Amino acid sequence: MPAADLLVIGGGITGTAAAIRAAEAGARVRLIDAGVNAGSDANAGSLHVQLQSRFIRLFPEQAPNVEASLPLYLAAVREWERLEALWGPFDLVRKGGLMLAEGEEQLRFLEGKARREAARGLAVELLDRAALDRLAPWLGPQIVGAELCRDEGKLDPLAANARLKARAAALGVERVAGRVVALTAAAEAATADGARHRADRAVVAAAWGTGALLAAFGLAVPTRAEPLHMNITEPAGPAIGHLVQHAERSITLKQFGTGQIVIGGGWPAEARGPGRVPGVRAASLLGNVALAARLVPAIGGLRVIRTWAGMNTTADGKTILGPVPGAPAVTVAVPGDAGYTLGPLVGRIAAEVALGLPATEDPAPYGLARFSA
Amino acid sequence: MAAECRFTFDGAPVAAAPGQSLAAALTAAGIRAFRTTATGAGRGVFCGMGVCQDCLVTVDGVPNRRACMTPAAAGMAVATQVAFPALDPAAAATAAPPARRIAPDVLVIGGGAAGLAAAAEAARAGAEVVLLDERRLAGGQYYKQPAGEAPALDAQQAAGAALVAEARAAGAELVGEAAIWGAFDGPLFLGEIGGAALVAAPRTAIVATGAYERPALVPGWTLPGVMTTGAAQTLWRSYRTLPGRRVAVAGSGPLNVQVALELARGGAEVALVAEAGPNPLLHPVPAARLLAAGPRLALQGVAMLAALARRGVALRHRSRLVAVEPAGGGLRAIVDGPGGRRAVVVDAVLMNEGFEPQNEILRLLGAAMDHDPAVGHLRCRRSERMETSVPGLYAAGDCAGLGGAPAAVAEGRIAGRAAAAAAGHGDTHDLYAFERARGRARRFQRALWALHDIRPRPAAVLDPAATLCRCEEVTVGAARAAMAAMQPGHAGSLKRLTRVGMGRCQGRYCGPVAARLVSEASGRPLDALSQFAPRVPVKPVTVGAILAAEQAMAAGDAGG
Repeated sequence: MPAADLLVIGGGITGTAAAIRAAEAGARVRLIDAGVNAGSDANAGSLHVQLQSRFIRLFPEQAPNVEASLPLYLAAVREWERLEALWGPFDLVRKGGLMLAEGEEQLRFLEGKARREAARGLAVELLDRAALDRLAPWLGPQIVGAELCRDEGKLDPLAANARLKARAAALGVERVAGRVVALTAAAEAATADGARHRADRAVVAAAWGTGALLAAFGLAVPTRAEPLHMNITEPAGPAIGHLVQHAERSITLKQFGTGQIVIGGGWPAEARGPGRVPGVRAASLLGNVALAARLVPAIGGLRVIRTWAGMNTTADGKTILGPVPGAPAVTVAVPGDAGYTLGPLVGRIAAEVALGLPATEDPAPYGLARFSA
Repeated sequence: MAAECRFTFDGAPVAAAPGQSLAAALTAAGIRAFRTTATGAGRGVFCGMGVCQDCLVTVDGVPNRRACMTPAAAGMAVATQVAFPALDPAAAATAAPPARRIAPDVLVIGGGAAGLAAAAEAARAGAEVVLLDERRLAGGQYYKQPAGEAPALDAQQAAGAALVAEARAAGAELVGEAAIWGAFDGPLFLGEIGGAALVAAPRTAIVATGAYERPALVPGWTLPGVMTTGAAQTLWRSYRTLPGRRVAVAGSGPLNVQVALELARGGAEVALVAEAGPNPLLHPVPAARLLAAGPRLALQGVAMLAALARRGVALRHRSRLVAVEPAGGGLRAIVDGPGGRRAVVVDAVLMNEGFEPQNEILRLLGAAMDHDPAVGHLRCRRSERMETSVPGLYAAGDCAGLGGAPAAVAEGRIAGRAAAAAAGHGDTHDLYAFERARGRARRFQRALWALHDIRPRPAAVLDPAATLCRCEEVTVGAARAAMAAMQPGHAGSLKRLTRVGMGRCQGRYCGPVAARLVSEASGRPLDALSQFAPRVPVKPVTVGAILAAEQAMAAGDAGG
């Protein structure tokens, strides 16, 4: 008899959400996690909805995919709010996200972006400096305007991860340590230590490790690990309610409920191999924090108390969600850009697809046929 | 002689002697709580050496200044630091101090016994040497130099002054108020000098960052007035300030006895000294070994014990502190020993249960380590020349594992010669005298610690009500509950579950305990990777200093 009804490969936010959904539906779930702790465990807690300029600049060919997925981001933030109401608090605050412009050209770029986003149903608007002074008086004098996306927010990922893992454990999800190196169409997984795990079905939520596991099914899924840098300061009084980004440069800045300012947004870290936590680069630390200090000068007197690096997962910009063509027992769940925002919703839908339950959102646009050879 | 100066604390006037730290001046004025935490608890001086980040005060409106590292100055407006200081839009004006770039042959990090000896030797060999120390005055925790113009208190301070003079005379540049906060491959070091940013790209580097004290992790160890024995010693030796009129000392090792005696001689009433180790008089064999290994130091120890006894101070062996409680305006220290439980009411409780190496920079750069169960901490793997597993990176003294000051001096001299030679100055011939001195010192240390007990307390015996993480205010009980629910396989997982180790001190006090909690629960023995992963910055660094370093690096890159 198989050890479980459902095998979940990957214990980050996506896999954990899939496990919770399946266990709530009555399935016996075994979750296998490699323990790299560099993905969801290293996340900085931004809830992204608007198009990230960083992404458009770095991966212009993927931008249309992300744009087409914007409604999924709205639904994903709603899913986070649902989970917090049930299992929180996660310190979730949805006061909106500001994308800053330091010149007219950047402002025009944001205008065009806002038009495209509004067409997809996002609550966005352009703010001039006077409006910003009322909303965010802590911004540097060079900021001429910003796009406000009211759907965006932030949460404490440590609290969210811990509470959702605890919820999964309480539902009887069996969490096993191991790195899955092979998976069959019959949902049998082999780990690096030689152990084998069988179930009726499997959900692959293995982030950047997903592509390697799917090669056996003749799929070319281009998941890659993108090592990124983050910083956090000591606490200050509450002042910054918004998620702050920039029209042209890589940055996210926000203040947690702990009073700490978290600075990140896509500065590179040092890859040390797929199974290891990446290392911190001096240039990223200096550049990321210096940029933050220019945009929000009021943080100049605070001290940075910690930096860390984690892995973002990139593929083609669009969420990868659905059964493997020719192997219906295996369902894939890799959120598109801003994976932590999308993770709970994508994991939930994957569990629903795997168990034949009605899906919360239609997964059809995100299917795997696009990766078939 | 410079005159006394006056400043205010929460509006009330406070007097300070020349060179006195804010922490010392406030302590002398009877003020013990300097800040309030997120839960409203008071905190004051704890480590006395810039590590614990608990003595933070707001100075002239600028929050997050360490009272133990900030000299008092006339007219300062010092205030109790609140848990969440308001963001200050005016901070931008002070956000970009100047930067200094250096590229010496030998960079020495730490100005204690090992660092001073290393700097002296390397400079004498002809190398360009820059020594950085976080304190205003070099000397470190063993030699603790007097502030202001006070004369040396005793032979130990005089020996420190001589070593400082030797390093200077040899041509080493000694820079005070200079801290390294980042270490990167290269090696590249980022830090602060006074108010300026520092970018250092030396040919070789000697890490001589010493050790900090392992506390007694008991309920009440975070109360204002509870501090490490070394913090109390700094108050007295550097600033002639008693930690309290009446004190209790607990832990293990000769530092506790020495400081108890120094404070008694300085006029404090020592209510109790609790020593975890056995009475040496009842264990003649290890006592005789100690005498044979180092007759002069051993006899000094005997003389200290006799002097304490003459003053009527009760030294209780096989006794441990189990709790500290508020008692009126003071503290009740509760100690368990062979005679049962006893309590004394005092103004200050001093604790030292051994040492933890300050090995953050070494670990950041990837130097190989081994866990030493005898002392409960990591030892850095080194060659006979004190070179770590990272070429060009040397480690000397207690930062590489507990060894004591005489061994640190010998290791510093060896490392100084070796690093200078690697940078093209002098050679490594004739190090025999230093190696012999090191061997003697190590034999003495082995015999010494056989008479004490500085193995860490097993995590299993810790009181659930005791605070585990001072910064994030997580108790032992809360950590155990998270472990029971989630079975974290590593201290890092426990950190993410409970926030232990996520505060300003970077997990220096809770980190080793978290690793032991996980090890004891999982059955996996402690090893070099059991602790929290090392992180930049090794000490909190202002956003302004980072901005300045970024500008200096950008300017340097532009200049080729």
